[in-house]
Amino acid sequence: MTAQRQASSASQIPHLSPAELSYLYTSLSLPGTPIRPDGRSPTQFRPLSAETDILPGTNGSARVGFADGTQAIVGVKAEVERTVLGVQALSQAEQQEYAEGNEGADGGAGAKQGSTSGQGSWVQMCIEIPGFRDDDALPVFLSEMMREPLVESVSGGEKDGDGDEGGMVGGLKGRLVINRRWHWRLYIDVLLLSQPLSYPLPLLSLTTHLALLATKLPKLKSKGEEDPFFDDDWNAAEYLYPRVRTTRASIPGSIHKVRPPVTLLVISVAENIVFDPSREEIAVADTVLAISITYDTGSNCLKLLSIRTVDPPSRLTQPSVPNSENVATLGSTAAAEASAIINPSTGEEEVSGVWRPRRGGVKRATIARMVKMVLEKGGVGEEVLDGLEGVEVG
Amino acid sequence: MTDRRRINGPSGGTRPPVFASSIKSTTTATERPQRQRQPNELRKIFLKTGLIPSASGSSYLEFEHSASLSAARALPKSLIPPSSSLKLACTVHGPKPLPRSATFSPNLVLTTHVKYAPFAARKRKGHIRDASERDLGVHLETALRGVIVAERWPKSGLDITITILEAEDDRWWGDAPDSHDAAWGMMNVLAGCITAASAAIADARIDCLDLVAGGVAAVVVDESVDGGEPSTPRLMLDTDPAEHRSLLSACVVAYMPARDEITELWLKGDNSKASVGTDDKSLSYETLIDGAVDAARGAHSVLAEAVRESAERLAGLETGYST
Repeated sequence: MTAQRQASSASQIPHLSPAELSYLYTSLSLPGTPIRPDGRSPTQFRPLSAETDILPGTNGSARVGFADGTQAIVGVKAEVERTVLGVQALSQAEQQEYAEGNEGADGGAGAKQGSTSGQGSWVQMCIEIPGFRDDDALPVFLSEMMREPLVESVSGGEKDGDGDEGGMVGGLKGRLVINRRWHWRLYIDVLLLSQPLSYPLPLLSLTTHLALLATKLPKLKSKGEEDPFFDDDWNAAEYLYPRVRTTRASIPGSIHKVRPPVTLLVISVAENIVFDPSREEIAVADTVLAISITYDTGSNCLKLLSIRTVDPPSRLTQPSVPNSENVATLGSTAAAEASAIINPSTGEEEVSGVWRPRRGGVKRATIARMVKMVLEKGGVGEEVLDGLEGVEVG
Repeated sequence: MTDRRRINGPSGGTRPPVFASSIKSTTTATERPQRQRQPNELRKIFLKTGLIPSASGSSYLEFEHSASLSAARALPKSLIPPSSSLKLACTVHGPKPLPRSATFSPNLVLTTHVKYAPFAARKRKGHIRDASERDLGVHLETALRGVIVAERWPKSGLDITITILEAEDDRWWGDAPDSHDAAWGMMNVLAGCITAASAAIADARIDCLDLVAGGVAAVVVDESVDGGEPSTPRLMLDTDPAEHRSLLSACVVAYMPARDEITELWLKGDNSKASVGTDDKSLSYETLIDGAVDAARGAHSVLAEAVRESAERLAGLETGYST
């Protein structure tokens, strides 16, 4: 129980000996070219299989499976709900109307202002991970981490060159508004089918991204402030994230102009930066960052939505003892061979081959380097988002 | 999960009745508190350690009232306070042996527990921790675990409990909930939690790499003075969300000045449209992080002073015993 509570913010730590941890750390921290246990390059992702629209009872769904056997299913359901203005906002509007009626018409635009943007609470996310209670720290932390960039991203289709087509004014929140009195409520239910072998964030984020891309809402027939009335033809339904015809030949069919954010897990080991870490790699990481990105609709380059640090589980591991300090090997020849060196990145004295978890935090320069690798043109973020675009939706 | 063991008050808030005829539309518009500080000026912090004798370490932290709140206190016009300021108490229990049933741990096992008092925010909080409080607890744990030298206490536990007596507002109370409805106040609360917990840990004499301090910075868009066009986005340190029309993005850091390292970083919001500090829009997040670090440096000076007081108190106690 305690072990699980400790590991609550990170994944379950694999039971690796200090010698194994030290071996992993050394090979991952080789300058320039880290050697990963599964032979990937530092920016390479694990192969995955993905499919969408697998659950007929939902508005949109997706399944993603990694090659190591971890699988996640996401179902998105939408409900129409009456917009309840807060007591304060409501009375504010009433007061305003009263004041306007009293003092003559000085602009009715103010009263309508509140309705055009949606509320973040209309998107609900629930994550279920086997072995964890729903109020444990890990599911709560993960769902906040994924919900935050989703509702935060107010990239919009400010009415730029190509008109309103494919744009989403006010981001996802704005898309959920039907009219002043009604709105959509979105339930995103994330189910991890397997044991959390590695930190499940990238898997869950990719699955949620695909499910949201596949989500369709019935076509609205009513207009303006009427009670909403929908077209019952499911084929006429519109995508939650609207699409436009593609101009690029590489991707068939239509593409999304606005896309939901993706959260990437990035770790740093000594001077190296490694993407999509497996469980063993996270266990020796110096820093773990979750970085959420999406495409900026205006400039068609990536933008940053949120960064969170994740507690690296290496701090929970047991440090090993160098031979020179070990009573059992004292006086043996091996003790003389090991010599202490100063690690350039940490400034701490280290004996090579002896595992010592990293203390302290992360330098600002390292954070900047990690974010730059994600955001830059032709970088990892673009590769991931383009790869996801290739998944046939609907 | 609902709380069935206690008789709870209504979940929604109530408001004293106000006659609409007594309210002029102009007065409600001007009531929003205005920031009186410079963009890089922090609120004053009151931080005192050792207030709770039964805990091995404790601290109490309070932010200075905003100018509008003290004006409203002196000359009350309405029953609703215009803004709130953070007040919280932190206790540290331990290091203490882990329970017999717990598995072996080579390190100090850190448990953080952040709880809002039911009366802390404008909307009442229940007795059971909700998602946002758990989330804060995880953030705080990440911030502190990097600082504590945990391998010096094997098989021991350390409980850090924070009670928030008054929380920051997420927005001005008169704004509709959709204007900028992210939990911006939570970020200020987290920064306060980090600073207070750091003082309490030092008060409990637990070995740390450095005193870690929390700081907040945000990119804000304000109404210009004549109430017309919103101004250009600006970077502000230690923002009070009630004082601003909208926050584009905000950042909290837990920062160790001696090592120039960040143990916890929480940045959210979309400021890709605003170029703050740099010409390159894609780099505005760096300015934001640097701003938060500057705010944390400011908090660190208060923290160092509080810890010095705590050490002096201990030295006084020891000389008292010896004589």
